[in-house]
Amino acid sequence: MKIGVLSKRETGLTDKMRSFYKEKGHEVTIYTTKNLAVNSSLFENDFYILKSKQLLFLYAGYFLYKNNISVIPDPIISYTYKHRIESYYSIRKCGLNTPKIYMGTSKSIRKKLRESDYPLLIKPLMGSGSKGIKFIKSSGDLDSEKNKILYCEKLIEGTHYLAYFIDEQICVGEKKPFANEHADIKLIKPEEDIKHALMIWREKYNLLFGHLDMIRESSTNKLIVVDPGTFPEFSNWQNSNSIVPTICNLILKRYYDKREMNE
Amino acid sequence: MLKNIGLIIDKYHLEKKVREFLSYMRKVCELSIYVEENYLVNFNDVNFDEDLFFIKGKGDGIINFAKSLERDTDIPVINSSKGIWLAYNRFLNSTLLKRAGIRVPNFSLNPKEDAPPFKDFIIKNVRDQDNYAFDPKIETNTSTVEVKDNRALEEVYGKNAQYSFFYYQEYIESKFEYKIYGVGEELFYYKQKPILRDPDKMKSREKIKPILELGEIAYKVMELFDLQITSLDFLKSEDDNYYLTDVNSTPNFNYLENGPQTIANYLLAKAKR
Repeated sequence: MKIGVLSKRETGLTDKMRSFYKEKGHEVTIYTTKNLAVNSSLFENDFYILKSKQLLFLYAGYFLYKNNISVIPDPIISYTYKHRIESYYSIRKCGLNTPKIYMGTSKSIRKKLRESDYPLLIKPLMGSGSKGIKFIKSSGDLDSEKNKILYCEKLIEGTHYLAYFIDEQICVGEKKPFANEHADIKLIKPEEDIKHALMIWREKYNLLFGHLDMIRESSTNKLIVVDPGTFPEFSNWQNSNSIVPTICNLILKRYYDKREMNE
Repeated sequence: MLKNIGLIIDKYHLEKKVREFLSYMRKVCELSIYVEENYLVNFNDVNFDEDLFFIKGKGDGIINFAKSLERDTDIPVINSSKGIWLAYNRFLNSTLLKRAGIRVPNFSLNPKEDAPPFKDFIIKNVRDQDNYAFDPKIETNTSTVEVKDNRALEEVYGKNAQYSFFYYQEYIESKFEYKIYGVGEELFYYKQKPILRDPDKMKSREKIKPILELGEIAYKVMELFDLQITSLDFLKSEDDNYYLTDVNSTPNFNYLENGPQTIANYLLAKAKR
């Protein structure tokens, strides 16, 4: 099998997957922003793994998908999770709680929100995790950049969780607020609502693996989903090396299932 | 009772493009105006009394406002958020159009360091979302034509560079550019000198008889993208094939004969009650 991997780097989990597939006799090409040209030259591979959600890789995924070449995870779902508004609707569609969200200029935020609506988090519209987040304690912290349209969320105060799932296995830890996936977490035995959220999320979108960032709100004890991801590094999964064969085999199985369905 | 129409618009379009349209609309309906730069979209509370929303703009605030109406109300929205999003995403729409069997120039996304994938090409901006016009830098010699939109160069090499790749479109030599406006079922046909030959596009613009082939493509694109109001640009190659080069979700309807009235009447006919 000829497998293409769309990934911002060649190291980490991408490298481990390449080694695994090569050992099994497959040919693997990794496409980064340095060597990825999105055109018919990509048709030489049997299927693609969409490891990163940068715009170029999402474009490549969409192009391949529209040209009937399998891309795993699904590029439309990957785009949806990367786009904050789409992701908000995806979470809501599962019956899970989301933070309150708004879009507008600094001027309209100042004018329409009350001080009790703060603190806010300003986030890039296309983004995931904690990259590019700005904390706005009160209206005075808003920039005067007049016409820039901002996406913002009501800050949720509470305990932050990073919750991974691979097939039916889960791994959940408490993390520091706004820490990225690679920061240390304290592994916990998850409560039922966390397990339930992961289960319905996985089933609703037919996902092989992924993660949800969640917060247990201190004032209400509600579980709120703030950020989903389709292909984390799983760097905080206990014994992360052991999951590489599982992930690679799940991907292969999904590819074979799709191929069989199309035949 | 007059129908209640909501107009979602940005400052640029409000100040420059809709004066006549607004004056007509105010006579025939109740009009509420939501300006992107002044309005806060609250996704947690989407309640409106309008019978229809008309979207004039393509900024993120506008598109996502439209999305909230589509997801949380039954109020018709023209054009749809999907249509606007597809129209400005050049690579996505070229991919979709080609797969649907509509002839578009060959295209490719390539790292900025790579040699161009075509002998004659235009580098266009990846996402045509801002309200700035095409700003070409043209280099021709005896054997090649290279056109680079300054907006595209800015996206890659500018102070706030966003991309490390270029969107290339193969250059099509054409005597005329054909422009088709679509307003629901009604199509309006024009031709003009290509903008690369004459930047003053209106100087050479003339109304032409319907071209069946272009009409069929226009209906197909409108359905595929879920666009009810659009303008499409075509070039005609030396071997007489039409190529669709641009899809616009916010056409300047002032260029149409009775354009503002045509649009207004169409919107009123599509309103909920």
